[in-house]
Parts: sequence; C-alpha cells; structure tokens
Amino acid sequence: MAITSIKNLKEFSTVNERFEGAHLLCPGCAHSMIVRELMNATDDNLVIASATGCLEVCTAVYPYTSWDTSWIHIGFENAASAATGAEAMYKARKRKGTLKDPDAPVKFVAFGGDGATYDIGFQWLSGAVERGHDFTYICLDNENYANTGGQRSSSTPIGAHTSTAQAGRVSYGKKQKKKDMVAIMAAHGAPYVAQLAPNKWKIMAKGFQKALETEGPCFINTVSACTTEWKFDPKDTIHITDLATDTLMFPIYEIIDGHELNILYRPKNVIPVEEYLAAQGRYKHLFKPENRHVIEQIQKEIDAKWEYLQRREEARV
Amino acid sequence: MKGVLATDRRGVRELGAEELVGWDEVTHGVVLNSFETELENVAHIPPEERPYSDFSSYTATVASWRVIKPVYNRDICIDCQNCWVWCPDTSIISRDKQMLGIDYDHCKGCGVCVEVCPTNPKSLLMFAEAEDPETALSQWPEKKKKEKK
Repeated sequence: MAITSIKNLKEFSTVNERFEGAHLLCPGCAHSMIVRELMNATDDNLVIASATGCLEVCTAVYPYTSWDTSWIHIGFENAASAATGAEAMYKARKRKGTLKDPDAPVKFVAFGGDGATYDIGFQWLSGAVERGHDFTYICLDNENYANTGGQRSSSTPIGAHTSTAQAGRVSYGKKQKKKDMVAIMAAHGAPYVAQLAPNKWKIMAKGFQKALETEGPCFINTVSACTTEWKFDPKDTIHITDLATDTLMFPIYEIIDGHELNILYRPKNVIPVEEYLAAQGRYKHLFKPENRHVIEQIQKEIDAKWEYLQRREEARV
Repeated sequence: MKGVLATDRRGVRELGAEELVGWDEVTHGVVLNSFETELENVAHIPPEERPYSDFSSYTATVASWRVIKPVYNRDICIDCQNCWVWCPDTSIISRDKQMLGIDYDHCKGCGVCVEVCPTNPKSLLMFAEAEDPETALSQWPEKKKKEKK
C-alpha cells in the first residue's frame, strides 16, 4: 500500500496529478477540489464510478475525459453497484489467476452527488454497504440537484431556497430538515464513516487515506460549496466552507465500526450560524422579520447536534 | 483558429469546438483512452512526460471562459502551496515543492487562489484578462502595515 505523504502541503504538492483541468465544472466548484485531493492522497491504481450529476457530466464531455484512471460513467442510482461489481470481478479474476498484474494495488471508489446518495441511489448504496464490498463511497454534498437547475434534495437544509422549494410570500423555502446520512451509514455498521470538508485539507486527505486503507465499505460525506445554487461569488468557496465548519453547520467527525465517534475538528471560536446564512443568496429571505424564527430554529438544531456529537464522543458508545 | 495555442500539447483545442461524431453514431460502451499508449502506474509519471491522447481534456482549453485572470508574483511567494491544494482546475503548476506558475489553458479565473494566498501583499492577484503580465506586476501593491488596535 503506497500512500502519499501528507505531512505538510509542500510534500503533498509533489504528487503527480491524475485529474486533468479543462473539465466543465463551474469556476470555483468544490467538487474538483475534493476529487483532486482523493486522487492525490494515494498512488495506487484507482477504479472510479461516478453517478450522474455535475461531476460526471462535466468531466466526461464527449470527446474528452478528465480522468487519468479507470473511470466508469453509470446511471444516477448505481454508482455504488458499479464500483462493487468491478470489485467483485477483480477479486474473482484474482482468484482464478487471470489478472495481468495481480500484485498491483487497486482501490475502488464511487462518487455521487447528494441527489445520487441521499435520494436516488440510497437503496443501491445501502445494499452495497450491506454486502460488505471493499470500496469507498464519497458523497459530494452540495445540498441540491445543481446539475439540473437546483431542485431540492433530501440533503437541502431547512430554510434554503431552491427551484422546487421557493421562498416567497407564503413559504420560507424548504420546510423539511436535512437527512442525517452519516448516521444512517454508520448504522449499517460500516467500518469507516466520516463527514469531511475541503477547507481542512489535511483532515480530509487523512480521512480519504484511512477510508482507502480500511478493508470493507467506507462512506464519506464531503461538503461541496456550490457557487451557482448557493449563490455566492466563485472566489469565496473556501471562505464559505470555513464558515460552514466554524458555525458547526457541518461538524467534521468520523464514526468507526458504527459506534466509535471521534470529532476531528473543533473550531476555536464557534461563529453564530447567521454569518454562514448571510454569506449565501439562497438564505437571504430568512433575514426578513417574519422568517427570523427559522434562523433561531437552525441555531438551536446545530447546538443540539453538537452537544449530541460531543456526548457520543465522550461516552465511546 | 479557435482557442489559445500552447506548447506541450496542452490546450491545443478549445473544448467543445469540434464534434467528432453525432449522438446517433455514438455506440454503447464507448471507451475513451486518456493516453496514446498503455501506461502502468500513471501516478509515478509527471504530467509533462505522459503521452496524452486527443481524448484527454489536458489537451483542451477553457481559457475563453475567463474575464479576469490571476497573475503570479514570484518575488513575494513563499511556496506554501495553498493555491495548489485548493485550485479546482489543476491550474497551479507545482514541481519539487516549488510553485512555478499558472496554467492559463485550464484556469477559469475563479479567484480561489488569490483568496487563499497568505502573503502580504498577496503573491497572486486578479487582473483583467487583457492585461499584460509585466504591466500587472508593475502595479503590484505595497506591503500593508498592520493596523494598531
């Protein structure tokens, strides 16, 4: 197993990149930051399956491909199935001795957006994790169906404006809460489940390496700020992600074997969630006097969740 | 000629400028090879030594997307590689722990690199696309003094 040294950024930057530029993702998109970091975190051969979504559409615009590894374009729902299918085939051929280079280390990875993970591919992902294949599933969570015009998904947080949950005179945007996908995947008993963010590059790279090294199904939820649908300036991607992690809107933590919870990042100064909401156009209606109660509700839920995570970490159960 | 021409087979064509076959002619299970020859362990070959095929987007360019562009000032840079790790378009060229410059064929001008640059003044700044790099460097701001509290 060869992993890249990530002791510091200078050493990390000596890797040879395998994700090429000139893909068609929006300027400032966090998807490619996350994908690049995963591919840079290891020098093993990678077999990657991408569910339909921004990443898949933009990195394989015929006649171009941005991937220097084996990469499969598959339907919206079955990225997990494709990756695990390839893994099962690889194991079978290894057993039969029909592989060209049986000693070459290979890792199987599936990418999906939050639409493919939380909604459409949920059943397939659950099945793949239950079957216990040796693969890593990475969800690029931008909290909406950004590829098709920003419809709400079950990952969209309460109060956000989306094209199918619009804010206006009678509504304050999406009225339902965000699904807790990390807890659901941990409940499958997966050996490694984590929520990571690209602004903390070292924690994220370590998490990716841990997931790739761990035998068995691993799930990682990554926060991917979407400049188009969250409505902020492309240059602020990292700033917005900083706000997301420091307001604890996206706490960074891992769950090992379904029970051992570790908080990986504790902000020195926890920022009130208002700052995170005010930085994005999709929340601007919440600052009207009649919608203020939603902000209070979001803050209350964040505090409760943080309290829960800390207690879980302390209790080691 | 469309797009920006560059050496090293990088950015020789504008993305989407030409169509090879139409939708009716594309068959199921099309495989696009990123390289001309079969390569083993791509992760151990630096990009400039890889035999990229015409299917790799490495040979294409998105330079026409840009309205503003980042300009790099070597004199101030401390090689922290913040811009490298957060560039979404693989457009920061770093070799042997050194930042060498910007790949203008793949840069879309998002400005993330400028935001994450920690030096004072910043060693990357955004300028208009048409700005000449030398003129841009001559307009570089002075070091800002810390405000006394």
